[in-house]
Amino acid sequence: MSDLKIGATLFCYGTEYARYEYDFEECVKQAALNGAEGYEIVATQMIPEYPNVSDAFIGKVERLRREYGIGPISYAANNDKGMRWDRNLTDDEMLANAIIDLKSAHALGCHVMRVQYMMSPEAFVRLAPYAELYDVKCGIEIHNPETPNSPVMQKYLELIKKSGSKYLGFVPDFGFLSVQPNHPMWLRALRNGVKEEHLRLAEKLRREGVSQEEAAKQVMAAGASPAIMEALSGMWGFVQFHDEKDLPGLLQELKDILPYSFECHCKFHYLDENNHEFSIPYNKIFEVLKASDFKGYLVCEYEDETYCGGTGYTRRMLAMQHELLEK
Amino acid sequence: MGFAMRMKLNDSIVKKETFRNTYIDGKRSGFEFKAQLAYYRGHFLSDIDSLEVYLDGEKMPDWAITFELNGKEMPLYKVYEAQTEFWSQVNQATIRVVKAGGVADGDHELDFRLMLRVPYMQIGPDHNFMPLDSGEKVTVHVEEVKEGKFDE
Repeated sequence: MSDLKIGATLFCYGTEYARYEYDFEECVKQAALNGAEGYEIVATQMIPEYPNVSDAFIGKVERLRREYGIGPISYAANNDKGMRWDRNLTDDEMLANAIIDLKSAHALGCHVMRVQYMMSPEAFVRLAPYAELYDVKCGIEIHNPETPNSPVMQKYLELIKKSGSKYLGFVPDFGFLSVQPNHPMWLRALRNGVKEEHLRLAEKLRREGVSQEEAAKQVMAAGASPAIMEALSGMWGFVQFHDEKDLPGLLQELKDILPYSFECHCKFHYLDENNHEFSIPYNKIFEVLKASDFKGYLVCEYEDETYCGGTGYTRRMLAMQHELLEK
Repeated sequence: MGFAMRMKLNDSIVKKETFRNTYIDGKRSGFEFKAQLAYYRGHFLSDIDSLEVYLDGEKMPDWAITFELNGKEMPLYKVYEAQTEFWSQVNQATIRVVKAGGVADGDHELDFRLMLRVPYMQIGPDHNFMPLDSGEKVTVHVEEVKEGKFDE
């Protein structure tokens, strides 16, 4: 039987934080007031002494836990393979950095760590004994345009299974289940003078599986404004979407990967007043989750593509999660 | 220059109000300003690919520029190799230039050019990462503070 908890990543408030409108405490407070039962922290974003965690910061986290009733449940690591000026980090170096991350995650009381696929499958499985020592489960994030069945994710799965470790798995991000164009991107294109008919044409070509290059040719031939190129790189890139007919297959991929997942990211870009997300079919996703044996946090994650701040949309998203879970 | 990512979460990268002359033995001898990173997360200084300062179109020599963060003031060549200095996105760095005569009163064009690698976004084989443009060109204003002035 599933045990689903509602979380938020403080990354949702990244714009407010960058503008000094919110400090760390205000981010925690907003997440708590809007119904999160725990939060994820992006280490490189909000930990003051990154990559280390000071006693002062732990003290603050604990004070906020007493005050607002929630604490960090997940540590989102960045795996900075390109941090040297002259060459990529080796697997040994990536592993050494990830062990420091585990130490920091443990110090904060997190039992889950998000890992990025910059860490090779071979280096990732070597993390297992350290993850066990620190009691932190490590999940490779599956982020759009990847899906659980992407070859690279299947490679991780193969090595995870071979390792037999219960401390290695995944953090699927539901952005991979998008079946409509990204709404803020669409609105921005309209604002930049792109005509709706040309966006519809691009959407149709994307659904038909036409290449980005070919689609660019066709929309330009139809007289589209060159400003449509940004929308095209979104539709074929990080905010790409699938056709509705592919949804059952994608939901099956989710079902298959859930037994290996420690946390899920409920990605959102735009919700209307009825708390409806435009491009990701949350009703269907939550049906799958409720019927599964997944135990863990459903952490909502806002991508602020229009730099309007995350407070309002995060409130709606958390409300939607409460509605769908009847909490 | 090819495509580079811009992420303007904060309204200003160069904090214009912090721009001021610096003095050596009472004489204007350079200038300084503070800058915030234009990205959602912090970076190790070794993610910086290039840092240049132009004042009124004139390029300031690399060796006369320093970068101060976490209480350490460094020459640029050390910045590019500073793997243990982390530039948090909400901490502002101070950039200083030693320049005889400093900056004359009035408006000036300050062009702060800062390019980084997004170290977890590999965009090609080998050492090829998403470029991030965190620079900004602004007009700054300088006005001398008169010595001995005291309003009562």
